[in-house]
Amino acid sequence: METLPVPLEIGRANLFDIKVKWQDGHESVYPGRSLRLNCPCAGCVDEVTGERVVIASSVSADVKPLGIQLVGNYAISIQWSDGHRTGIYAFDLLRKLCPCANCRVQ
Amino acid sequence: MTITHAHILQALAQVHDPDLHQDIVSLGFVKRLAIDGGRVSFAIELTTPACPVRDQMKAQAMQAVRALPGVTQVDVTMTSQVRPSRSAQSRGTSLIPTIKNVVAVASGKGGVGKSTVSANLALALAGTGARVGLMDADVYGPSIPIIVGVGTEPQITAERRIIPVEHDGLKIISMGFFMKAADAVIWRGPMLHKTVEQFLGGVEWGELDYLLVDLPPGTGDVQLSLCQLIPLTGAVIVSTPQDVALNVAQKAIAMFKKLNTPVLGVIENMSAYTCPHCGKREDIFGTGGARKSAERMGLPFLGEIPLATVIRETSDAGRPIVLSAPDSPAAKAFIAAAEQLAAQVSIRAMQGEPVKVTF
Repeated sequence: METLPVPLEIGRANLFDIKVKWQDGHESVYPGRSLRLNCPCAGCVDEVTGERVVIASSVSADVKPLGIQLVGNYAISIQWSDGHRTGIYAFDLLRKLCPCANCRVQ
Repeated sequence: MTITHAHILQALAQVHDPDLHQDIVSLGFVKRLAIDGGRVSFAIELTTPACPVRDQMKAQAMQAVRALPGVTQVDVTMTSQVRPSRSAQSRGTSLIPTIKNVVAVASGKGGVGKSTVSANLALALAGTGARVGLMDADVYGPSIPIIVGVGTEPQITAERRIIPVEHDGLKIISMGFFMKAADAVIWRGPMLHKTVEQFLGGVEWGELDYLLVDLPPGTGDVQLSLCQLIPLTGAVIVSTPQDVALNVAQKAIAMFKKLNTPVLGVIENMSAYTCPHCGKREDIFGTGGARKSAERMGLPFLGEIPLATVIRETSDAGRPIVLSAPDSPAAKAFIAAAEQLAAQVSIRAMQGEPVKVTF
């Protein structure tokens, strides 16, 4: 059975960015705003078409994470400075969103 | 030759836990080692009182120490201390900080005997001395109250927390305690989520080694809420042997995989039927299908529960078979499955790393 990517540690890279250390040794640093724009919640993505409906220009340039909680064994939820908090970021989604050069090539 | 602690530990290091694949010394199981001339005494602290290989390990330990020159007498005490799963350690500010392991009992299809299996597994675990809770999360069709024979409404504390009903050594909570038998719960998702949340965090569970959660069938709101609200130790899948049930069971397995919740194993319920009159065996729903499916998916197979009238009768009468006829083949099948489950929980407790959030 293929194993899902699981983080070891989730924390801040700086005021705006989130850092995830993975159990396989990989490290990801996510610019906060790009994670906010990739929010998978039903308000940000059309549930039927999968189309992203959150408007980038409506999310301020300095949006930052205020809190992070684990959701069960498989995800985190993030509270954003713009009041948004409904997104559940599954670990495999987070890994797919890793912005590092290696992950982008794949 | 004088016998030392080092001699004894060296001898005991030959004894391996077959589930955890390590010797009992490096696992830290050996406690209270005392030597008095040729008399040696020690305790072996297992990770579950329901250990299926408890007697085997005790015999091996005695034999290993007895073989040492100079040893005249060996006293072994078997104890246990259930370890919290790694996922429980990553809970932090958890809804349920005093529960070491939460195990969901799930199926794809309804009517496979999930509640009967849950109740008997819980009673079998409690029978070994473990502290066990049973949460009936089947909000629409709560059947745990009938199966365990409890109908009393739980007490509520001054802080508006629910005190679970204690019965036959289990702490039990069910939606059935709060409604009349003929009433129906007709709810949408958010209400279900709130109920699951309250059944976890709003109940005075106290210290538990195992909390078994009897889920409704399928892959819906209750399953998702449970997997979001707490990090489950894992899930047990109950299926009947025929393909139509196994195909749907695979969907439940796929759901847990997606939610990074380990599937601890598969139990085949309503397996072979033995006619009480002529003793002839009849495979009404087929047999062995769940074992084969589990093998194919690389999941542990925890056991087969026979299709027996006595299981249905004892469930309907509120005296589950593990209590009312513990020496019957059906009760033994439940007890064996509970031991296999406890072993899988112990294995999980030793694996993986908790996820740390430092924010």
